Amino acid sequence: MKQVQFQAAHEAAWLQLQAWLDAQSRHARRGEPAPALDDADFAAAYRELCQHYALAQRRGYSASLLERLRALVHRGHTQLYRPPRPRWRSTLDFVATGFPRAVHASRVQFGLAALLLFGPLLATIALLQWRPELVHTLFDATELARIEEMYDPAATHQRIGRESGSDLSMFGFYVLNNVGIGFRTFASGLLGALGPVLILAFNGVAIGGVAGHLTAIGYGGPLWRFVVGHSAPELLAIVIAGAAGLRVGMALLAPGRRSRARALVEEGQLGARLVLGAFALLVLAAFIEAFWSSIGWLPDVVKFGSGGLLWLAIGLWLWRGGRAPAPE
Amino acid sequence: MLDTVRLVETPEGVALHLHPAGVMPRAAAWAVDLMIRVAATMLLLVLFGLLGQGGMGLSLLSMFVVYWLYPILFEVLRDGQTIGKRAIGLRVIHANGTPVGWLASIVRNLMRTVDMLPVLYGFGAVASLLDPQGRRLGDMVAGTLVIHAERAPAAAPVPLVPAVWPEQVLASEEKAAIVAFAERGPRLTPERQAELADLLVPLTRQRGASAVQRLYGIASALLGRQ
Repeated sequence: MKQVQFQAAHEAAWLQLQAWLDAQSRHARRGEPAPALDDADFAAAYRELCQHYALAQRRGYSASLLERLRALVHRGHTQLYRPPRPRWRSTLDFVATGFPRAVHASRVQFGLAALLLFGPLLATIALLQWRPELVHTLFDATELARIEEMYDPAATHQRIGRESGSDLSMFGFYVLNNVGIGFRTFASGLLGALGPVLILAFNGVAIGGVAGHLTAIGYGGPLWRFVVGHSAPELLAIVIAGAAGLRVGMALLAPGRRSRARALVEEGQLGARLVLGAFALLVLAAFIEAFWSSIGWLPDVVKFGSGGLLWLAIGLWLWRGGRAPAPE
Repeated sequence: MLDTVRLVETPEGVALHLHPAGVMPRAAAWAVDLMIRVAATMLLLVLFGLLGQGGMGLSLLSMFVVYWLYPILFEVLRDGQTIGKRAIGLRVIHANGTPVGWLASIVRNLMRTVDMLPVLYGFGAVASLLDPQGRRLGDMVAGTLVIHAERAPAAAPVPLVPAVWPEQVLASEEKAAIVAFAERGPRLTPERQAELADLLVPLTRQRGASAVQRLYGIASALLGRQ
């Protein structure tokens, strides 16, 4: 069949499909009439278009016709294979079982990251109880003064743990700061496993340094009262982000039986799920840190009780949810 | 035509032609996005500054949104185009040609922290230059591609000239070449048309403008016009 006859025979179908695709785009105006092609017939019309395109290629028709059909095929492909809209049900599934299952699947990396964070943290605290003067290798004098002022038990006129600022402003600051750390921990996995290792160890030493120094000079009361409320989501989220970064890092170093490119893509996607959950946990931690932890007049029972409950709750959620069967 | 093309076979059995974008268009799109981000941040800082202390928190939150969430939200909800990419005419898609989804967009944008090292997207630019498809590190991990957005092809009708059958048997590439000449000819200058048509003197046995018209006639015949 010659090109002109081919075009004449199928032009109407192509124009119909094009009109339907135009109507689907966001910029279609409301007042225009409904397209002639039925929604249910789109897939069949698209397959027919692909067949026409293949025929046109095989028969060597002109470049302009091929380009036109190619553009239409691309538009139809984009329309047919668009990502599904996120649904509330799938979000609930992710929170209830999807995220704990992802953590459970990465429990080796989780354990390693926990070791890398809590090991230096506890070691630094212990070291500073034994030799308090070592804190000067970690922080300089102005930083120490600032930290001590934030947790001074004698200063009852202000909230603990911050220099100034309302709850809302500190919430914004904590979100920016902590979530940034979490994201960077994940992304540093691209530098091989060294990135997350260094970031986790560094954060462990820094946190341990502050905690150990304040406990050693007797400011432990305000510090632990401040920290206990939000420590569970924040530290666990950083460990999870570190686990995700370790996955990506190990994909580069030891991809196993996959190619490095394939391993990177797969680990990146698994890591993204972990980072999503870690992001939610960090926002929760920032919320608690800003609005709850700084309140100085709450009795110890309430503070430590709520903090302990949160540790228990998050631990149970990750443990139980991780062992649940996958949702249908 | 010389171009970077990536052929992706679809489940329907045809191949999509994707044109990956290189470093320069992507850098231009990033520059536009940067200006928009800076402008938005300054505007929000001014607005929230009027609200005092609480406004400070809101402005920090909005800085977070602008910095981390702006590219993710735009790429997923606006057909793979942030404002900068739309200005330059680029689009983010999955490597298999489908529109980009949430997970891929999140991964590729979080990986910017590594692409930004050591300074001004150094790693990302080098990776993009070395990769045949112009992907930076975030694209490689997320399995995405940045392509030039499709433009509607310009109509190129062959001039309506009575069909003249060629006197020799032509191979299929030769037929395609003559039809391509007939489609592009009207956009060339008459001198250029004549220069090209003079290459086929053995076929048309004419020179100059009449050779051009003869070739248009042959093209009409090959297309199937009467």
